[in-house]
Amino acid sequence: MTETSVTTDPAAAPSVASNEPIIAIDDLSFSYDLGKTNTLRNISLEIPAGKVTAFIGPSGCGKSTLLRCLNRMNDLVDTAKVTTGRISILGQDINAPDVEAIELRKHVGMVFQKYNPFPKSIYENVAYGLRVQGIKNKGILDQAVEESLQKAALWGEVKDRLDSSALGLSGGQQQRLCIARTIAVKPRIVLMDEPCSALDPIATARIEELIAELQEDFTIVIVTHNMQQATRVSDRTAFFYLGELIEYDETQIIFGNPSIKQTEDYVSGRFG
Amino acid sequence: MAKHFERKGRRLLGFNLQSWIKGFFGGNAGLSIVILFLICLFLVLEAVRFFPSHHQELKLSQKSGQEYVDYVIREADEYQNLVSFTNQAYFQELDARFGIERGVVDSFGVFQGMIEDDAGDEMDGLEEARDEEDPAALKEAEAAYQAAVARIVNEADRKMVDSFGRLAENDEAWRSVKEAASSYDAVEEEIPAFVEEAETKMTEGMASFEEAKALISSSGVPLKDLRSKLVKIAASIKDDAIADLTASARKEALLEGAEKVEGEAREAKLAEAGKIVIQDEFPFAERIKPIVAAHGDHVAAVATLREKIQEGIGRLPSEFSSEPAEKLVGKIRKLEPKFIEALDESIEESGQWKWDDEIDWVSSVTKFFFGKDWTTNSEWRQVYGFLPLFTGSIIISLIALCIAVPLSIGAAIYVNRLSTKWEQTFIKPAIEMIQAIPSIVLGFFGIMVLGNILLEYSSSPWISWLPGFPITERLNMLNAGMLLALMAVPTIFTLCEDALNNVPRSFSEASLALGASKLQTVNKVIVPAAISGILAAVLLGLGRVIGETMVVLLVAGNKISMPEWSAGLGVIAQPSHTMTGIIAQEMGEVSSGTLHYRALFLVGLVLFTISLTINVAAQKIIKRLGNHA
Ligand SMILES: Nc1ncnc2c1ncn2[C@@H]1O[C@H](COP(=O)(O)OP(=O)(O)OP(=O)(O)O)[C@@H](O)[C@H]1O
Ligand SMILES: [Mg+2]
Repeated sequence: MTETSVTTDPAAAPSVASNEPIIAIDDLSFSYDLGKTNTLRNISLEIPAGKVTAFIGPSGCGKSTLLRCLNRMNDLVDTAKVTTGRISILGQDINAPDVEAIELRKHVGMVFQKYNPFPKSIYENVAYGLRVQGIKNKGILDQAVEESLQKAALWGEVKDRLDSSALGLSGGQQQRLCIARTIAVKPRIVLMDEPCSALDPIATARIEELIAELQEDFTIVIVTHNMQQATRVSDRTAFFYLGELIEYDETQIIFGNPSIKQTEDYVSGRFG
Repeated sequence: MAKHFERKGRRLLGFNLQSWIKGFFGGNAGLSIVILFLICLFLVLEAVRFFPSHHQELKLSQKSGQEYVDYVIREADEYQNLVSFTNQAYFQELDARFGIERGVVDSFGVFQGMIEDDAGDEMDGLEEARDEEDPAALKEAEAAYQAAVARIVNEADRKMVDSFGRLAENDEAWRSVKEAASSYDAVEEEIPAFVEEAETKMTEGMASFEEAKALISSSGVPLKDLRSKLVKIAASIKDDAIADLTASARKEALLEGAEKVEGEAREAKLAEAGKIVIQDEFPFAERIKPIVAAHGDHVAAVATLREKIQEGIGRLPSEFSSEPAEKLVGKIRKLEPKFIEALDESIEESGQWKWDDEIDWVSSVTKFFFGKDWTTNSEWRQVYGFLPLFTGSIIISLIALCIAVPLSIGAAIYVNRLSTKWEQTFIKPAIEMIQAIPSIVLGFFGIMVLGNILLEYSSSPWISWLPGFPITERLNMLNAGMLLALMAVPTIFTLCEDALNNVPRSFSEASLALGASKLQTVNKVIVPAAISGILAAVLLGLGRVIGETMVVLLVAGNKISMPEWSAGLGVIAQPSHTMTGIIAQEMGEVSSGTLHYRALFLVGLVLFTISLTINVAAQKIIKRLGNHA
């Protein structure tokens, strides 16, 4: 099997012109209860390719919900429903009937708040995404595992124990393993939902460094509660409140000179 | 100074209410443990005492020569098998070739009997009239006789006369038989030519088969005679030896009884006690002599059998009109070399048999655990071989698991991971509801419904190729296994579902987020993560199945013998007995303290040990592999 036949090869993936947004959300409303109440209301937002975009806002405002709309993880909730609007990723409406969520998720990866490696070996964790695509060639898998672990800045620490259980790693290492696992399938977009909230400051710093490096290859959307983190890692920031998008701009502007009072109150720590 | 920490409340016998309540609950817990311990102790004590008695029984069987006679019995039994196959084949062939003739002869015979029974008075009258030579009376008697015969023949139920329906499709033959019967003269007993002809045709047509059959039937006569002779001798030696063993005890009892009565009764008891001779040692060496001496006869009888039966089988026809007959003869031909080989082996072994070889106590253990026969209600000899019961239980359990495991794991996976909430709300209670079916109801269903369905449909062409199909026995291991599977499903399903539920959601989320399908997620992440729980569920399902009694007792067929392994996977369609079934079936007929009673306890102990092991193993697995939650 040759490399080009792998559907996740970025070269084979649909591409967008550099100035066009990779994710375009247009007037999106979303409900967890078949439209009785909208958890997200009329959100419009364009996320540029190759940048880090942060979602901030008080707890329960719908950041995770929006993030999970982007790779259709909300499909798992039986009563979840997009009530109005549309999300285009790479120019395609992801809720169109001919879109397969499984295919979408190969292009839109996700890293979760609580690190959750599988109870398998380190190697098998990273190779998992490729294996489910039917790749069995040991050479390709070996190469992908090494490359992904290197990108996730974990290779040096684990290269001698690839066959031992992933559950034996430290929390920070496990989270980086999860990042490696996600990028192994070569997605275009990586969604991160508070990836550092379960980690200590040193592990957090390493993940932040990693995000900066990953930015070269991936478009990253990150949810965070940590204002400093948002300023450190992101290019653009969106502030949500009670299911609505309040303000969305360059990170410096949001934190330095926001145009809406609510945003200013939140980023300066007066509420939330 | 005020007391702050003084104990309050009323006290009884130095304890307050709290202590009493605590004592009550503690006492309950303690009591159940003590009871469990006592039951275990009782079980073990009763079961272990089986071995000494068994040893004694084995020794007696040897010294009385029963062991030797068993060789003769086995030979004769196997021979009898071949004889009955031959007879079956003969009659099948007879029916196929001369069905009409046989129908004619048999139906006429039935008419004959009916006339003799029902027209007896008229026959007497006729006979008398003939003797008296009075033409008028003769005419009258003849008329009366003919009227009676005509009535009998006309009123006779065709199905009863031609009970095998051999003439059902041949009205002409039936009419001829009726005519022949109507004009039959029961006084002279003159068989009509028409019937005689049919008879001759049959005998002539079957002459060569008949000859071979006769050869085979006669070949074993000396062996069968020898068997009845030896059986009597051995049984009397054994009876006397047992009487001798208990002699002193009986004498004591009689003397004691004599003390309590007066007069004649006392005299009688004393006399009887006087008759009991207490010997130092029972004279086995003397008594066994006729059996030891019979070995020569035995060898000769087997030699005759061997020679004649081989000739007889050689003379069996090779072309048949009846397919079953052809099959049966094929079977006989196939069995012949094995039978001859077994005969030779048996003769050789019986030649080496010694009545006074020492039997060590180990053999009382091995003969139990590896013995292949379990015979308890025969007067001849009690044999306790556990292996067929064990094998039956294991095969039935395996059948049940093979059906229940995929079903319940599949259902658990579906309900836990793939179904909608709405489906969950009825599938789960529905499966758990199965548990509410009483096992006696299931067993009844197995006998009345499932057995018949299997029997009827297993011969249909699209499943008859399955091993063991078409099924010949209505009650068999497959039937029992299927019902037990149904009983195991709720156990395995519930435990599996728990195990799957314990797999954190985050695993499946991570997998799905990597582009895996739901099915891939189940296969590659969820099932491996839950595997310890699933294994434990299967084990506990096995425990459930192996301990089940009612269904196997009713449905497994209760035939105590080793399965015929030559059927390959087809053994599943054979009947068998089980460890649980045997206890349930035989406990009513044993009296406390006998060998049989202890044997059943020993089976119970083994069953208990198996269940215990399974449960402990299940717990170990859960602990060892743990949950990755
Ligand atoms: N699976 C679900 N079913 C129903 N309601 C949900 C579900 N998940 C979240 N919600 C609701 O949707 C709203 C938004 O939740 P969401 O998790 O998106 O908030 P969040 O901004 O990520 O908060 P946090 O910062 O605490 O993670 C909340 O009111 C929550 O109760
Ligand atoms: Mg959240």
